[in-house]
Amino acid sequence: MPFGYHGRYLRIDVSTGASEYVPLSDTVLRQYLGGSGLGVKLLLDEGAAIMDPLAPEAPLVFAFSPLVGSPLTTSAKFAVVSKSPLTGRINDSLASSGFAIAGKRCGCDAIVIAGRAAELSVLVIDDTSVRIEPAAEYRGATCQDTESGLKARLGANYRVASIGPAGENLVRYATISHDGRHAGRGGSGAVLGAKNIKAIALRGTRRAEWANPGELTTISKSLSKRSFGPATAKYRELGTATNLLTFNRFGALPTRNFQSGTFDEAASLSHEQLSTTRSKTRESCVSCTIGCEHIYSLGSGGVRVEYESLFALGSLCGVSDPEAVLRASKRCDELGLDTISTGGTIAFAMECVERGWIDEPWLTFGSGDALLRAIDSIGSRRGIGDLLAEGSRRVAHAIGHNSIAFAPQVKGLEIPGYEPRALQTMALGFAVGARGADHNRSGAYEVDFSDKVDRRNLTLDAVRHAIDTEDKAALMDSMIICKFLRGVFNDFHDETAEMLRSITGWDVTADELRETAKRIVSAKRQFNLLAGWTPAEDTLPDRFLNTPLPNDPEASLSRELLNSLVAEYHRQRGW
Amino acid sequence: MHVEFLGVPRQRAGISQLEVHADTLGQLLGTLATQIPPLREFIAVDRLHSSFIANLNGDRFVSDPSTPLVKEDRVLILSADAGG
Repeated sequence: MPFGYHGRYLRIDVSTGASEYVPLSDTVLRQYLGGSGLGVKLLLDEGAAIMDPLAPEAPLVFAFSPLVGSPLTTSAKFAVVSKSPLTGRINDSLASSGFAIAGKRCGCDAIVIAGRAAELSVLVIDDTSVRIEPAAEYRGATCQDTESGLKARLGANYRVASIGPAGENLVRYATISHDGRHAGRGGSGAVLGAKNIKAIALRGTRRAEWANPGELTTISKSLSKRSFGPATAKYRELGTATNLLTFNRFGALPTRNFQSGTFDEAASLSHEQLSTTRSKTRESCVSCTIGCEHIYSLGSGGVRVEYESLFALGSLCGVSDPEAVLRASKRCDELGLDTISTGGTIAFAMECVERGWIDEPWLTFGSGDALLRAIDSIGSRRGIGDLLAEGSRRVAHAIGHNSIAFAPQVKGLEIPGYEPRALQTMALGFAVGARGADHNRSGAYEVDFSDKVDRRNLTLDAVRHAIDTEDKAALMDSMIICKFLRGVFNDFHDETAEMLRSITGWDVTADELRETAKRIVSAKRQFNLLAGWTPAEDTLPDRFLNTPLPNDPEASLSRELLNSLVAEYHRQRGW
Repeated sequence: MHVEFLGVPRQRAGISQLEVHADTLGQLLGTLATQIPPLREFIAVDRLHSSFIANLNGDRFVSDPSTPLVKEDRVLILSADAGG
């Protein structure tokens, strides 16, 4: 067993309560590292690609990493990996903080959960002891109330990941929440809900040893020092909310279900405006020196404000009232809903109402009340919420009228806040993304915001840059370190190889890590192929390929260009 | 030319825009570092720190200090990292 690992995963069948430790070989750990990579490998071994993700037998993996528990900044992260009930494809969503450290201290590198408990339950892992306890009293409870209630019941030193009402109700984009953060995209909360597991509570005492603790300390100090510099200033000082006005300036802020790239009232949702009317505090994940979380006051409490939530619940739905948008964001946190898919599905429904295809006249662009009402209906699956809980692709198929042409999704996953016509390298990243339209598995927007390409007039040369960002993301999600650190590295691959050497004792090199990244990306593709992927899925909705942005005629992406970019991507991948 | 600041550069500059005369991007950045000392952390002589980027007229992103500028140009200074 290498240093940095326990060399085994814990497999639990919640139907019976049976659990076992399964060995993980050095070879598998070195080839897939941890996090997303290890999670995908375990899912492939479990045969999950051909299962119904909401069936009892479908596995859900919580994967830790060699870096978890080390002094490296931002390393307290875990990946939740399963087949997505929203897309039917691979889904890996990441979250942060103490759950990752406590999980690894249970003496395993991953936890695989299969089966379905007979009643709503909490899975308790106390070091190496596993038990299932009834959790009926938490039925309908918010993520936050469940977490605090379980800590009061079991002990404050437990770390809890839970689902909200949305997960219980199998909303296809329900999240798993921990400490106010979410494994957000793709519906892992519904997978856990289908297992009748309301929460996982764990604590442990087992530490993995480091190969070279002295060297690791030196690397960690250097990285922490750099994390206070200019490369992270945006996240530390303003948070991701600052993207809103920047994207609006470049015509890249998705507005009214991607009908425009600018929002006239964007300033009302900007961090500058929010800061003048509300108090603000900053928080960090455990083991993080960046502190990107900016919490704005809301009523008697506060709400974490992120760009993706501001865009999805704000400009995308045409809502400019900051009180409504912040309340909507907080409500999604409570219910356990992915804000991007929630906003995307509601915005799509608002356009369908405008066109007379959905008979819910109250659901109009710009209405904060409608936004909040729709969110509650989704969380409870009441009324129109039962349909919207299925995500925009299934809504489009249900209502017809070729509305799929403007359903804001790729492979079923709603598109995040990057207008594809204005940011065309990102458009490619969305089209080919293994889990669908996604800004965390492809950082291609970095290329658009550089002098490497003309973001509105792309050439095939952009493809290699898009591949680089996807490979880098696969590595960061498997090691695992936070992507907000990426600007601090002088040579990303050399430095991450150095980290891994100091932890594991492997003679790993930068070139080996480049190959590892490609292996992990290929494993996700292999999963999707087994799940039924076809080349036709690697595209964007017709809206983006037929219509230039009305405020920026240069922001036009033809079907021919996208097809040739995708073909070149496949060629360079060797697929 | 007209200079716009977005995000962290705006916060550090304490203003959202100003008028500056310069013939090249490098000259412009040098002038900004002199006129607005809080920006010096992000400007090394005539180049932006790698975490920041300049854009010409909302179109082209530029980093070469010798990039020529004309009076009618609008130069945007922003964080290069657009992660959200």
